[in-house]
Amino acid sequence: MSTETLFEKAELRNSSVKAWKEQGKKIIGTVCCHVPEEILHAAGAMPYRLRATGVTDLSEGDTWMSTFTCSYARGTLQYLIDGTFDFMDGVISSDGCLMAGRIFDNWKYVDGNAEKKEFYLKQIAAPRMNNENAVRYYRDYLDQMRTELGAYMGVEITDEKIRASVALYNETRRLIRALYDLSKSDAPVVSGTERLKLILAASSMPKEEYNEMLKDFLARAGSRAPIKNYRARIMLVGSALDDPEYIKVIEDKGGLVVTDALCFGTRYLWEPVELEGGDVLTSIAASYLKRPVCPRMVDLHDEFGDLIVNFCQDFKVDGIIYERVKYCEIWGGEGLYFGEHKGMKEADVPLILLEREEIMTNIGQLAVRAEAFIEMIEK
Amino acid sequence: MSNLIGTISRQVDSVIEHAKEKYADQMWMFDVQKASWDAVYHAHDEGKRLIYVGACAPVELIYAFDCVPFVLDMIPTRLASTPEVAARYIDLAEKYIAPTMCGIDKVDIGAILSGDMPDKPDAFIYSTVPCDNSRVAYPFICDRLGCPSYCIDVPFRKNEMGFDYMARQYKEIIVFLEKLTGKKLDWDKFQEIMTISNQTNDLMNKIADLRRITPCPLPGRLLVLNEMIPGMVGHPAMLSYLEAQYAIGQDAVAKGLGAVKEEKYRVSWLQNMLWSNVGILDWMERKFGAVLVMDAFGYQRGHVFRDIDDLDTICVDFAKKGLALPMIHGASGPVEDYIDLVENTMGDYNVSVSMFIGHVGCKHTWAAAKIITDMIQEKFGLPTLYLDVDAVDGRYKKTDEIRALITEYMETIEENK
Repeated sequence: MSTETLFEKAELRNSSVKAWKEQGKKIIGTVCCHVPEEILHAAGAMPYRLRATGVTDLSEGDTWMSTFTCSYARGTLQYLIDGTFDFMDGVISSDGCLMAGRIFDNWKYVDGNAEKKEFYLKQIAAPRMNNENAVRYYRDYLDQMRTELGAYMGVEITDEKIRASVALYNETRRLIRALYDLSKSDAPVVSGTERLKLILAASSMPKEEYNEMLKDFLARAGSRAPIKNYRARIMLVGSALDDPEYIKVIEDKGGLVVTDALCFGTRYLWEPVELEGGDVLTSIAASYLKRPVCPRMVDLHDEFGDLIVNFCQDFKVDGIIYERVKYCEIWGGEGLYFGEHKGMKEADVPLILLEREEIMTNIGQLAVRAEAFIEMIEK
Repeated sequence: MSNLIGTISRQVDSVIEHAKEKYADQMWMFDVQKASWDAVYHAHDEGKRLIYVGACAPVELIYAFDCVPFVLDMIPTRLASTPEVAARYIDLAEKYIAPTMCGIDKVDIGAILSGDMPDKPDAFIYSTVPCDNSRVAYPFICDRLGCPSYCIDVPFRKNEMGFDYMARQYKEIIVFLEKLTGKKLDWDKFQEIMTISNQTNDLMNKIADLRRITPCPLPGRLLVLNEMIPGMVGHPAMLSYLEAQYAIGQDAVAKGLGAVKEEKYRVSWLQNMLWSNVGILDWMERKFGAVLVMDAFGYQRGHVFRDIDDLDTICVDFAKKGLALPMIHGASGPVEDYIDLVENTMGDYNVSVSMFIGHVGCKHTWAAAKIITDMIQEKFGLPTLYLDVDAVDGRYKKTDEIRALITEYMETIEENK
């Protein structure tokens, strides 16, 4: 299987989506990575993480959400409204951030979607603290989702099915970590642009198929040409970044993106779900809540900083690009925490803040700023 | 400005000195402000613990432990009326955070970073609401303060699951306060405070009912002052303030008087209050006979403690009270909460003019504005004016511009009558 075949799966309407629908099976869109895909998988649905990759028109998103909102959210809503995601049979959102919640809210009110029985809509609540009480609350929502989704899909989502799905997803996580490991060397065989495509593919196709394809990719990775002509090793952190073109602009200037702390990157599927002997949903809830995924978790800022520091060491990072979508307030204040984090201060890795919009209208400016930063940090 | 609280406290004193002569019959409005700021300013002098609080903090419990609660967001809403002072803190904060963030949180952060806040508080009880901005600001402020803290994770939905989740946290807060103060909860005192709190909520509801009457007997400006209620609920000074307000409202109703001589329009604002330009409300009353009868921020229908002997019920009631607070009630959860809030306001208060005076920092309400205003158009046949403002940073849009845009809209309404 060619690498191009796997990259094609990063497309919004990729061949796996088409094949799945041709089999008469359901695809459920998810908003935010606090919707545990394992439960959707156990129900027999294909989870598909909604995104705005490549969006060029925000007219519907602007109309419904106003221009005072994050363009990633507007772009995602745009695609829901303009038919790009017309293969969806439902949408499950969490209250990841308030913009994520409003994608869902607005979609319900477009064309009376909330009334359409054939379309499954669910919004779960994900706590913003990581403690026993929060796990219990989150677990109860997951249980509710299991029951309702099972009824919609016409199946019983048993513990056994969920355990099997968790095992499959943990394998995906292991493979994705192996993919990132390729970038630890001085001459990586995969670029940041390519890696983002591979992660987007993971979020847009059945995991069984993805795991096989990624295994194959990893097995053949040794034969890929090592990338040696870069000027600096970059880590990306910040708002949801789902457009490989953005990374390509940075890499074209010599900044090889070797790792990230992005929710379409390492933060999507990384830490395994630890299934303990007890209740399976409690294990999922606990595993999901303790991940430093984005600053929405008010008590995981230190852990997020620790993760960045560790990644900087593991991937020999020369500089961090902190990209922030305009109006993404969850990421809008994270600089405060970076400035206070002991490990980050000690590591003293150069960092640049770049504001961006989902529509890639500022490529020239990005290129100039990225190049200036790379010049500053290259060794 | 080395002691921000002291400065504000002294400003309130000056205003009172001035008001004594000019507005002797309206001192009840000033007394409650003095009680609030003095308590905070003198807390440590009086040997009391000062506890900064965010939304949903159990104020009655804090009083019961003989501590002084201080709603941190009172600083930005207070400073908003002096744009040059607010700007100082906003500009400072923007060195570190996105300028698009909410002015409330920017002032909070700026005030903390500036070192202008006086004594370190003894604790900080905050929460994960109302929005993404506060979720950034509060934990940072908490870290900076370096004092004992408790963060309440506020659930997304106002249902039994959510009430139970919050109730469990309120029980933990009792333990937290016992540890902080070294005292067990004094139930007699707590019950006394809960009783005052219930009386306060009862009065608040009665005052809200008075505002339904045409003409509205109370001016829009009082809705701004009433925003202080949640932060002082259970305090006798707040009760006195509302008793006076209710008596005046009743008297006006008995005489058939309204807040303006001739009430032509009954206005509702659908988002935040415009703290940076509260005078707009007075101007709308004078210029158009347009009275703000209720707004989506100030809409308060407080829950009461149903059984002051039973801790389980009390903690669930704390949850219900917290989830009914301004901003939390409509804007923090699913959009249906916001729709219901606005629908109740429009219907209950017989609103004839709808305005989305949208604070630019409040993106999640902007992101729901079309749903809300479509509902108003459909159910009440009213179009809505959209006007972007900064509720805290008066530099964003000057008074003349705001007035011009509102005038244009009001003239259109008059023409189409």
